[in-house]
Amino acid sequence: MEIDYRLERPLRLHARLTVTDLTVLLGESGSGKTSLLRALAGLLRASGRPFDGLRPEERRVGFLPQGYALVPHLTALENVALPLAGREARVEALRWLERVELAPLALRRPAELSGGERQRVALARALALRPRLLLLDEPTSALDASTREAAVDLIERVVREEGLPTLLVTHDPYVAARARSLAVLEAGTVRQQGDPEQVFARPATLGIARLVGFSNVFAGRVRRHVEGGVEIATGEVVVYAPTKTPPPPDAPVHWGVRPEEVMIVRPDRPLAGPVARNRLEVQVRRIVRKGLAYTLRVEGPLALDVTLPRHVQDRLRLAEGDRIEVALKPRYVHLFSSEASS
Amino acid sequence: MTEAFLLSFRLASLTALTLLVLGVPLAYALVFKRVPLKPLLEAVLLLPLTLPPTVLGYYLLVLLAPEGVLGRWGLDWAFTFQGIWLGSVIFSLPFALTAFREAFQAVELEVLEVARTLGLGTLKRWRRVLLPWVWPGLLSGTLLAFAHTLGEFGVVLMIGGNLPGETRVASIYIFDLVQALEFEEAARAASVFVLLSFVLVLGVRFLEARWRSITGSNAR
Repeated sequence: MEIDYRLERPLRLHARLTVTDLTVLLGESGSGKTSLLRALAGLLRASGRPFDGLRPEERRVGFLPQGYALVPHLTALENVALPLAGREARVEALRWLERVELAPLALRRPAELSGGERQRVALARALALRPRLLLLDEPTSALDASTREAAVDLIERVVREEGLPTLLVTHDPYVAARARSLAVLEAGTVRQQGDPEQVFARPATLGIARLVGFSNVFAGRVRRHVEGGVEIATGEVVVYAPTKTPPPPDAPVHWGVRPEEVMIVRPDRPLAGPVARNRLEVQVRRIVRKGLAYTLRVEGPLALDVTLPRHVQDRLRLAEGDRIEVALKPRYVHLFSSEASS
Repeated sequence: MTEAFLLSFRLASLTALTLLVLGVPLAYALVFKRVPLKPLLEAVLLLPLTLPPTVLGYYLLVLLAPEGVLGRWGLDWAFTFQGIWLGSVIFSLPFALTAFREAFQAVELEVLEVARTLGLGTLKRWRRVLLPWVWPGLLSGTLLAFAHTLGEFGVVLMIGGNLPGETRVASIYIFDLVQALEFEEAARAASVFVLLSFVLVLGVRFLEARWRSITGSNAR
């Protein structure tokens, strides 16, 4: 589904994006994500296609706000039956509850359900509407880590099975990574849309880089053109970055590398080829555990964040103060386009 | 005594019913709609809360007198049942309105909005979402208005005077008895009053508890 919407209030926004399968809209808080969803549901004045001029009652757009908005005095079953009519309403509502694996709790009221269960009731209710478009506002923000994964699994599965265009809004990179298509809202417009892998590896702007956890970003100047790319000077460091559209020599540029893609050079395994070019001697300043991974802060000619999986750290046994060598594989070095820096 | 109590009941029932019809849409609008000069309007509506009943009664008497501003337009209601009914409605409005407003304030606007996206029109939204959510609050506000009118004295005396069968309600009847030193009858009437009020307030408390169990149930 092609969406083209303009908002004036509460903020100016012009969003053009394609919603297919599970599409995630990523954006910082205050970027207008929720406003866009409310506009699509018809609850906020806006102009654009589709649904232009239709009242919320007429749009058949399923909308799950952050708080799920279940009716407190109705049971789960009655909530799901709300959009249904006729004698078969309760039977059909039960079928939808089965779809979200909640049939045994059909007669409970929202107060007697956990956060994750309430969300599934709200999902079943939205599906019972047989919507043309499904909108989910931060569906994982109120859930703990284990429920979060299950919730995204379920949403993903149901959306696929129903072939339902779904727009999910979040600022959670974990959820974003699971999208079929990832769009990023920045400065009142959709600045980038594509495969999540592409957006994570090649963010179009510095703002998007920050949003997708692309933490090692540096300013530099193009030193010279070389085979298949450019050499960039940042301070005393010279980094080789492949690019098909090299900026002119001496142009100011931004470049970066994801913390997951910084390699630690093992002294017993010398590097060869292009990797040997982007090598830095650094010292480990800080090691922070993050779940089953470690984030290292290393300092040298450049200061970098480095993420290590546990099995690598178990082998290397790095400690704060260690002197190590890191390599930035050219294919993981991302050169931001010049307008991204502005 | 029976006549006075029956009159009190009639006045209180009519007043409470009027307030239900007037107050519910008003409270709904004050909570959910954009109303111009809302604070000013609210201040005017809540004014009877702070005015002495005699002040309110005085103004109404002047307005409703045959040569008063309203009296000349046919609302010649001084010393009539309609007069004390109008006075009671105005005097109990703040109580009813406050209760109604609280009931609507407990409703999450988002739930109503999502109900719209689910295809529920205005009528269905009121019937299936809004009314089951707020009815204990609406009923408790109505009962409160009823009880408050039953106990009303100053406004009724100022506007209605003391006409048996027309404006002499129970509270004024008791005042009369004491003036006439008929303490035995006064004691009987007073004890009936205590019992009645107790039952009413108990009912309101019960409804409030019921209402809290509904509104508290969406706590996240």
